[in-house]
Amino acid sequence: MSSPAIIELRRVGKSYGSHRVLKGIDLRVQAGEIVALIGPSGSGKTTALRCMNFLERYDEGEVWINGQLLGYSGSGRRAEDQDGPGAIAEVRKPLAMVFQQFNLWPHMTVLENVMAPLLLGKRLKRDEARRIAEQTLARVGMAAKADAYPARLSGGQQQRVGIARALAVEPQLLLLDEPTSALDPELVEEVLNVIQGLARDGMTMVMVTHEMSFAAKVSSQVVFMEAGEVIERGAPAQLFRQPATERLQQFLKPWMQRGLEMH
Amino acid sequence: MMATFYDRLGLYAPALWQGAQVTLVLCLLAMALGFVIAVLLDGLGRSSSRGWVWCSRVYVSFFRGTPLLAQLLLCFYLPSALGVDVPGSVAAVMVLALNTAAYQAQILRSGFDAIAPGQLEAAAVFGLSRRQTLLQIQLPQVLRLTLPALVSEFIDVIKVSAVISVVAVTDLMRVGQQLVAQTYRPLEVYLVAALFYLALTSILALIGRILEKRWQERHG
Amino acid sequence: MNDFLTYLPDFAHALWTTLYISLAAAAMGAVVGFGLNTLRLWLPLCAWPCRVYVWLIRGTPFLAQLFVFYFGLPVLGVTLDAVTATVLALTLYSGAYFAELFRSAWNSVPKGQLEAARVHGIGGAQIFWHIQAPQALAFCLPLLGNQVILTIKESAVASIITVPELTQTAGQIVSNTYSYVVPYTLLVLSYWLLTQAVGLGAAWLAQRATRYQKG
Repeated sequence: MSSPAIIELRRVGKSYGSHRVLKGIDLRVQAGEIVALIGPSGSGKTTALRCMNFLERYDEGEVWINGQLLGYSGSGRRAEDQDGPGAIAEVRKPLAMVFQQFNLWPHMTVLENVMAPLLLGKRLKRDEARRIAEQTLARVGMAAKADAYPARLSGGQQQRVGIARALAVEPQLLLLDEPTSALDPELVEEVLNVIQGLARDGMTMVMVTHEMSFAAKVSSQVVFMEAGEVIERGAPAQLFRQPATERLQQFLKPWMQRGLEMH
Repeated sequence: MMATFYDRLGLYAPALWQGAQVTLVLCLLAMALGFVIAVLLDGLGRSSSRGWVWCSRVYVSFFRGTPLLAQLLLCFYLPSALGVDVPGSVAAVMVLALNTAAYQAQILRSGFDAIAPGQLEAAAVFGLSRRQTLLQIQLPQVLRLTLPALVSEFIDVIKVSAVISVVAVTDLMRVGQQLVAQTYRPLEVYLVAALFYLALTSILALIGRILEKRWQERHG
Repeated sequence: MNDFLTYLPDFAHALWTTLYISLAAAAMGAVVGFGLNTLRLWLPLCAWPCRVYVWLIRGTPFLAQLFVFYFGLPVLGVTLDAVTATVLALTLYSGAYFAELFRSAWNSVPKGQLEAARVHGIGGAQIFWHIQAPQALAFCLPLLGNQVILTIKESAVASIITVPELTQTAGQIVSNTYSYVVPYTLLVLSYWLLTQAVGLGAAWLAQRATRYQKG
């Protein structure tokens, strides 16, 4: 254990009624790591990601963020019930998220979208918030569109704004939920380039993605899930070249056939 | 007795205009108050507690299922039974507000439903409180979406407000009654009073149509 | 409470009056509205007078209209008693709303169906009865029930010209017994029961009517 984990999942489980979506997931993410969660649909990878910031309530196990238990108090009671909704917001502060459907607020301009978490969540002063927002927009290449409304932007542009919004709060860890799945193919690259830039700058990330070659290129750890369980995990070089399990081999077939690029 | 109709109109018009102003002001107040109540009602209707949901349903069913006049009489005389004297205009605004809230709650509900849940998730994830989410994210959008329907509801409020004349409010209708008592010309006076209402509702309807067109162009 | 029991017969009579006025006006108003809609479809020249009529009625409060009928008509030599004036005014009032209801129901039938009918030699009257009417009526059945409820609620206004319906009678009881709470509470509960009953009845009818559609 070289450095303390920013986020740690221990035996995390979740059920929807009688259907067990997560069956005891273990995961550790340390500073500087980039974790790619891959797997077929229904594998529970998105649910696992959403449990990390309590967008989904997990039923079993524990999620720890910087040594604090998320969503529940030590005695097992829901943190909401004991300490109020602010308790959850406090613990998940170091996290930010980029959504598959972007989830920008349509009645605000691009700049206002990026400033909102700073003004309302972090309660910064307006000038400070504006400065940071403009900087982050420049970083993702969207400075020119600061006064535009999301409806006028392409999908790729909207997602870059979404990334800027997440960056502006200066998170310790960035959660990305299939950031390019909702994009037309020709727009995927611009977003992947931005994410790659973040990786180069040392941003810690957990990313659910179907972009295998991108995952291979950028991540430091790949976790393959199927039917709510972690089947295999390891460095991308090893996992993609020599998948140990039958199921991962099956899953990677389409990409192998197309010639998965590895560095 | 004045010679021509137009002379008499010169007598009616200013008085009726005063009455119309009272009607407008009271209805605007009721509308605004009703809006706040409606937002609360919508919140109750989405509560996880079955009790609150039931409460909001009963409220809406009651205020939509009974005449405004009956509600007004109940709420105007009820305080008297408890020994509290409520002025007519206050009771009128209160009852109108409670009444329109039931209709506005239905209107706002579809507005709130139209906002993608992802936006609320993003708000939660980025540390916005429930209150901030309501005021900064939801309400601006809900208002834009439902404005034409709200204008339509405002027109209805103005029409039903005619009955508040029974609790001694000097609204447009009561001024009409006073003029009739003075001039003994009920047909003329009530027709002109009706025309005043018609003017109010028609102008508002026009505003509503313009607003609808503008929203369609901007966000269509 | 004992006092109130002696007024129960009056209350029952008032309930009957309210029902009689409302349902008569709603029924006749539906006929008026249907007639107006049919008229403007058949005689395009009648379209704009109908629109003016609908605009006048829907743009003004019922109370004002009632006052014109009850207080204003005598000036022209036509004196009506309170009940007749109410039924007349309420009929014309709901007639305009029914006309508007039928108009949008008829418009809801896709134009393509009408073109298909014309192209195959089906005449105007048959289009009206066999293609538009069945679909339009099925479409607006729940709204018709709602309009009946609106008519019942509007009938309360007649208490102002002392028609012995529910609201007026409740007021009488109040002034005789000097108690406000019980009579007025029972008043609103009576209306609530009425409108809920009509609402359920209309929903049941609508369900039966569309059952054959879903087959």
